[in-house]
Amino acid sequence: MAPAESNNGTGGIAGDGVAKDQASVKVPSKDPKKKDEKKDEDLSEEDLALKQQLELYVERVQDSDPGLQKVALESMRNLAGEIAQEYGKRQVEETSIDDLMDLVVQIVAFHMKHNAEPEAVDLLMEVEDLDLLVEHVDSTNYKRTCLYLTSSAKYLPGPDDMLVLDIAHTIYMKFEEYPRALQIALYLDNMQYVKQLFTTCNDLKKKQQFCFILARHGITFELDEEMCADDEEREALLEIISNSKLNEGYLALARDIEVMEPKSPDDIYKAHLLDGRGSGGGTVDSARQNLAATFVNAFVNAGFGQDKLMTASSETSTGGSSTSWLFKNKEHGKASAAASLGMILLWDVDSGLAQLDKYFHSTDTHVIAGALLGVGIVNCNVQNDCDPALALLADYIDKEDPSTRIGAIMGLGLAYAGSQNEQIRSKLTPILGDSKDSLDVIAFTAIALGLVYVGSCNEEVAQAIIFALMDRSESEFGEPLTRLLSLGLGLLYLGKQENVEATLEVSKTFNEKIRKHCDMTLLSCAYAGTGNVLKVQHFLGQCANHLEKGETYQGPAVLGIAMVAMAEELGLEMAIRSLEHLLQYGEQNIRRAVPLALGLLCVSNPKVNVMDTLSRLSHDTDTEVAMAAIIALGLIGAGTNNARIAGMLRNLSSYYYKDASLLFCVRIAQGLVHMGKGLLTLSPYHSERFLLSPTALAGLVTMLHACLDMKAIILGKYHYVLYFLVLAMQPRMLMTVDENLKPLSVPVRVGQAVDVVGQAGRPKTITGFQTHSTPVLLSAGDRAELATEKYIPLSPILEGFVILKENPEYRDEQ
Amino acid sequence: MLTVSVKWQKELFPKVEIDTSQPPYLFKCQLYDLTGVPPERQKIMVKGGLLKDDADWAKVGVKEGQKLMMMGTADEVIKAPEKGPVFAEDMPEEEQVVAVGHSAGLVNLGNTCYMNSTIQCLHFAPELKSALIKYLPSVRSNEVDLSTHQLTVATRELFNELDKNVKPVAPMRFLTDAEECWTQLLYTLSLSLKSTSSSEGADAVKRLFGIDLVSRVHCAESGEESTESESVYSLKCHISQEVNHLHEGLKHGLKSELEKASPSLGRSAIYTKDSRINDLPRYLTVQFVRFFWKRETNQKAKILRKVDYPLELDVHDFCSDDLRKRLEVPRRVLRDEEGKKLGLKTSGSSSTSTTKDIKMTDAEEPLNVREESSKSEPEQGTTPEKEQHLTGIYDLVAVLTHKGRSADSGHYVAWVKQENGKWIQFDDDNPIPQREEDIIRLSGGGDWHMAYICMYKARCVSM
Repeated sequence: MAPAESNNGTGGIAGDGVAKDQASVKVPSKDPKKKDEKKDEDLSEEDLALKQQLELYVERVQDSDPGLQKVALESMRNLAGEIAQEYGKRQVEETSIDDLMDLVVQIVAFHMKHNAEPEAVDLLMEVEDLDLLVEHVDSTNYKRTCLYLTSSAKYLPGPDDMLVLDIAHTIYMKFEEYPRALQIALYLDNMQYVKQLFTTCNDLKKKQQFCFILARHGITFELDEEMCADDEEREALLEIISNSKLNEGYLALARDIEVMEPKSPDDIYKAHLLDGRGSGGGTVDSARQNLAATFVNAFVNAGFGQDKLMTASSETSTGGSSTSWLFKNKEHGKASAAASLGMILLWDVDSGLAQLDKYFHSTDTHVIAGALLGVGIVNCNVQNDCDPALALLADYIDKEDPSTRIGAIMGLGLAYAGSQNEQIRSKLTPILGDSKDSLDVIAFTAIALGLVYVGSCNEEVAQAIIFALMDRSESEFGEPLTRLLSLGLGLLYLGKQENVEATLEVSKTFNEKIRKHCDMTLLSCAYAGTGNVLKVQHFLGQCANHLEKGETYQGPAVLGIAMVAMAEELGLEMAIRSLEHLLQYGEQNIRRAVPLALGLLCVSNPKVNVMDTLSRLSHDTDTEVAMAAIIALGLIGAGTNNARIAGMLRNLSSYYYKDASLLFCVRIAQGLVHMGKGLLTLSPYHSERFLLSPTALAGLVTMLHACLDMKAIILGKYHYVLYFLVLAMQPRMLMTVDENLKPLSVPVRVGQAVDVVGQAGRPKTITGFQTHSTPVLLSAGDRAELATEKYIPLSPILEGFVILKENPEYRDEQ
Repeated sequence: MLTVSVKWQKELFPKVEIDTSQPPYLFKCQLYDLTGVPPERQKIMVKGGLLKDDADWAKVGVKEGQKLMMMGTADEVIKAPEKGPVFAEDMPEEEQVVAVGHSAGLVNLGNTCYMNSTIQCLHFAPELKSALIKYLPSVRSNEVDLSTHQLTVATRELFNELDKNVKPVAPMRFLTDAEECWTQLLYTLSLSLKSTSSSEGADAVKRLFGIDLVSRVHCAESGEESTESESVYSLKCHISQEVNHLHEGLKHGLKSELEKASPSLGRSAIYTKDSRINDLPRYLTVQFVRFFWKRETNQKAKILRKVDYPLELDVHDFCSDDLRKRLEVPRRVLRDEEGKKLGLKTSGSSSTSTTKDIKMTDAEEPLNVREESSKSEPEQGTTPEKEQHLTGIYDLVAVLTHKGRSADSGHYVAWVKQENGKWIQFDDDNPIPQREEDIIRLSGGGDWHMAYICMYKARCVSM
C-alpha cells in the first residue's frame, strides 16, 4: 500500500466530499464534444470501451513501475467520474445498470486497497450503493473510511446523511469499534442501536465506558436484563448512567487544580481594579445588586458545595448577620436566593436535599418556591432511584400560590429534562387546560413539559400545549410569557426536522399575533443543530421583512439562524458573517436578538472577532441591544475565566454604574464568565463537537428566548429563568479512571484539534500541544491524547470520564 | 416484617426493620432514634411519592431490601429577620443621595455651564451652605437691594435642592465667564449675608473666602514706601513664560508693577507692589489668569500653558511675617500629628496618606457635618471654630475647568471632591466619578479641560 500514498496525498486531501465530486466530474470534460455525442451513441459499445480501459488500467497498476501507477490512479479518477455521469443518465432513462456496477465494484476495490477511501466513498455515493463499502473495508482502512463518512454526512442533504452514518455504524460494529458506533447511534438518536451495542458487547469495562458517554449526552436510558444479565453489574452501570459520579469527579478536578476555596461576588467584581469608580456608596443594600450577587455567587460556586453567602450561614450556628443573606433579597429575589443553594450543591443530591430542607419549613412563599426550584437544580442531569425530586415537588404543583407552583413546575422540568416521565406528564398537562390558572404558571408548565419531553415529538403533550395556546385571550397574546408557550411546543421537536410539519400546519390556525412567532420557534427548534443551509436562508429571508407594529417573530428567527448553523464550523463562521450584516441593515428588534444569537453560536468559546463585536454592541445606544450584548459576552466566556472578557465586563461595570438594569446584566455576565471558577462549560456539543446534548441545548435556548424580552422577564420577577442554564452546565474536563473507576493520573497531551479528514497516512490530530497529567481542563476546540503507552483508553474520544486499561504489551524501559 | 435500608444525607442505615402492621409513623419514630430528626420533619421518599404518616404499608409497596431515602434535618428553621433590610430601591429620593455618594447635577439651560460649575464648586463648602440656611427668604434688610436678595434666596433654594435630589436639578431661578460669575455670586452673597449675620459680628462669606492682603508699595526711584491692605476673594495665578507651577504663578500674582504719580518726584514713577497674605480664609480660591485682552486682535485670548497645581498647597511663603508667627504653633502641631500617624502606619504610601488627611480634617472639623445638624444648633457653627486654627496648608477640593481654545467659547465643568473622598466631575446634569490622578491632569497644555479656578480647603488643627 505504500507506493500509492504519495499520489493520494496530492489528490485526496480535500476534506469536502462535494468539492471532490466536482473535481472528478471536471476531469473527463477535457473533450466536451465527446460528452455530448455520448448520448446518441450506442451505450453498450461505450461500456465495452470503458471495460477495456479498466482492464488496461488494472494491468498497469500491477506493473512494478510506480510511475505508471500514478497514471493509473489518475485515469481511475476520470473513469469514476464518467461512471457517475453514466449512472445519472441511466437513472433518468431507467435502463439497467448492472454492467456499470461491475465496474464500480472493481474500482472501489482498487481504491480501498490503495488508500483512496474518499474516492471510493464518493463513487459509491454517486451510484447510491454505499452498502458495497462494507465488504471492502478492512482493519487498516476502516478508520479513515468512517471518518470520511461521518464528516461528509454534515454536508449531505436529506436522507442521504442518515444513510451514510448508518453505513459508518455498520462498519464500526463490524470492527468492534464500539465507542464510535455508540457515538453514531446517539447522533442518529437510534436507541435500538444503543441496545444492540449493549447486547453484543460483553466486556463490563467497555459497557461502563458506554455509560459514561450516555451520561454525558444527558439522555435517560433504561438498562434491562437483556443488556446486562448480572444484577450487580447492572447496578454499577446504572450508577454511572445516573451521573451520580459526576459530583465526585468534578470535586476531584477542583481539588487537583486547587480551586476549592469559595469565592464571593466581590472577588469576581474586582472593584479595587477600578478605583474611584467602584459601585456606589455601598452603605445601603440595593435589592437588584444583591440579587445579582446571589446569581454570581451561585454560578461561580456551582457544584462546589460551599460558598460565602448561602452555605456559610448553616455552618456558623450562631446565625447572626450571615443567616440573612437570603433575606437580603427582596420578595421574588428570595426565590432565586433559596434556589441558588441548589446550584451550589449541584449534582450532590444527598447533601443538597439536606441543606435545602430547612427552607421547606419557612412561612415565606418565595422561600419555599426557591427551595422547590433548588431541589430541581440539584437533581439536574442526575437521576436517583428514589426519585426525590418527584416525591418532593409533586405535592406543591397544586398549591394556591403561583410563585410556589412555578418553583415546583420549573424544578420538575429541570430535574427530569429529557426523561419523558409519564408521571410528570399526567401531573402537568391538566394545568395547561385550566383556564383559571395565571399565564405565568401556564407558560412555565409548557416549558417544563417541553424540557421533559424534549425532542420526543410526543403527540399528547403537543396537543395540550396547542390547546393552551388557542385558549389565550386576545390581550394575552401580546404578553412575552405567551411566547414561552410556543417555545415549549418547539422543544418537543428539538432537532427532529420534518416531524414538525404537522404541528407547523396547526400553528397556521393560531391567532395572528402569535402565529409567525410560533412558526419561527417551531422551525428553529426542529432544525436546531442540523446545519441545514436552506433553513438558515429561510430565517434570513424572514429578517428582511419590514415589520408592522407589534410583531415579534424576527427575534426567534435570528436565534434560529444560530440554532441551525451551530452544527459545524463552516456554517458557524458563515452565520457569524450573516449576523454581522443583520446588525448593519436590520431593524431594532433584529439587532436586539443578534448578540444573543452570537452568544449561542460561540457559547463557552470566546472567539476574538465575536468578542470584539459584542464589546462594541455593549455600548450601543439602544439599551436592549447593550443588555443582550453584555449577557452574550457572559455566554461566550462562560466558564472560561477569560481575562479579556473579564476586563471588558469590569470596565462596563464602571461605565454603567448608574444604570441598575445594565449593571445587573454586567454582574450576571461576570458570574457566567467565572462559572464554576472556570471548570464548567455551557457548550451543548461534546465528543469532539460531534454530539449535541438535546437537554443542554433546550436549557440554553429557553434562557435565550427569555432574554428576547429582558425587561419583562429577566429584569422583571422571572429572573430565575437564568437557572435554565444549569441544564447545559458540564465540567470541561478529562478525568481518567482505572478499571475500578478510581481516579488515575496519567500524562496527556492537550492541544488544538486538527482536521485530519481525508489525510493520508497517520497525521497528527493535535497541534501546539502541552503535556499535563490528568485530570485536566479542555477548552473549546481542544483535543487530548494519551502521552503514555502504558494504558489503553476504552474510548477513542478523551473527554469527560475515560476508563484506562493497562496495556499488556507495555514494557517498562528500565 | 420487612427489612429495608435507609439513606439519610451521606449515611446509610442498613437493615431497618419495618413492622408492616403498624402505621408508618412508628417507622418514622424508629428513624428518629437513628438520626435525631423529629418525625414531623422527616420526608421519606418511596418511588414517586412521600410516605404519609397514616399510609397503608401494603399500598405503599415497599419490598424487602429496598433502599429508601429520607430527607430532613434537625436544623433550626430559617426565620425572616424581624427587621428586614432597607433597599435603596424602596427609599424616597432624598435618602438615595447618601447611597449614590454624590449630589445631583445641574441642567444646562443654554450656555449656563459656567454657572453650573461655579455653583457645584461653591456648593461644596458646607459652611456657606449653613450660612445660607440661616438667611431667611422672608426677611430682607434695607441694606440689600432686591436683586441681591433674590439671587441669595435663589442660591439658597438651589443648594437645598441639590442636597435632596439624585436626578439633575434645573437651576431655574438663576442669571459669561465663570470667574465673573464666581466673584459676582460671592460678592452678592457677602452683601446679603452680612446684613443678616451682623449679630454674630462676622461676615460669613468673608470669613470663608476672603483673603486679607498687606501690600508694600515701593518706588525704586524715590525710595518711597507705603503699606496698604485690601481684602480679595481669590488669589491670582499669573501665567507667563517662566511659570510652570501654581506656586510660581502665585508669586507673580502677588507682585505687580504700577505706574502712579509720585508725590516726591512730582511725576509718575514705577512702583512695585509686593503683597503678602495677612489673613487666611477657610476656603482659598485661586484663579488662573488664563484669559487676557489681546490688544492687537481686540479679543479675549486664552493662555493654554500648562501650569501644575498640587493637591496640597502650602501658602506659608506668601504670608506676612505677622501671619507666619500666628501659624507657627498650629503648623508644628499638625506636623507632630502627621508624624505620629505616619509612625503608627509605616506603610503610609502617598495615596493613603492623602485619604487619611481628608478623614482627619473631616473628623476634626465639626462644621463639616451635614446641614441638618448646623440647622438645629446654629451656635455650633461658631463656638468650636474658635479652637480651630489654620495652618496655612490647604487641600484641593474643587476645580473649575474650561475647555476650548478661546475665552468666548468652550465648556465649563466643575470637578468636586465629595465628602467621602471621591472626585466627581459635574458636567452640567451629568455627574461622572473620576480618579484623583485625573484631577491633577487638568493643568492645561492641551485641548483637554484645564483648571481655571481652584478651590482649596484649609487644613486645621484643634488646640
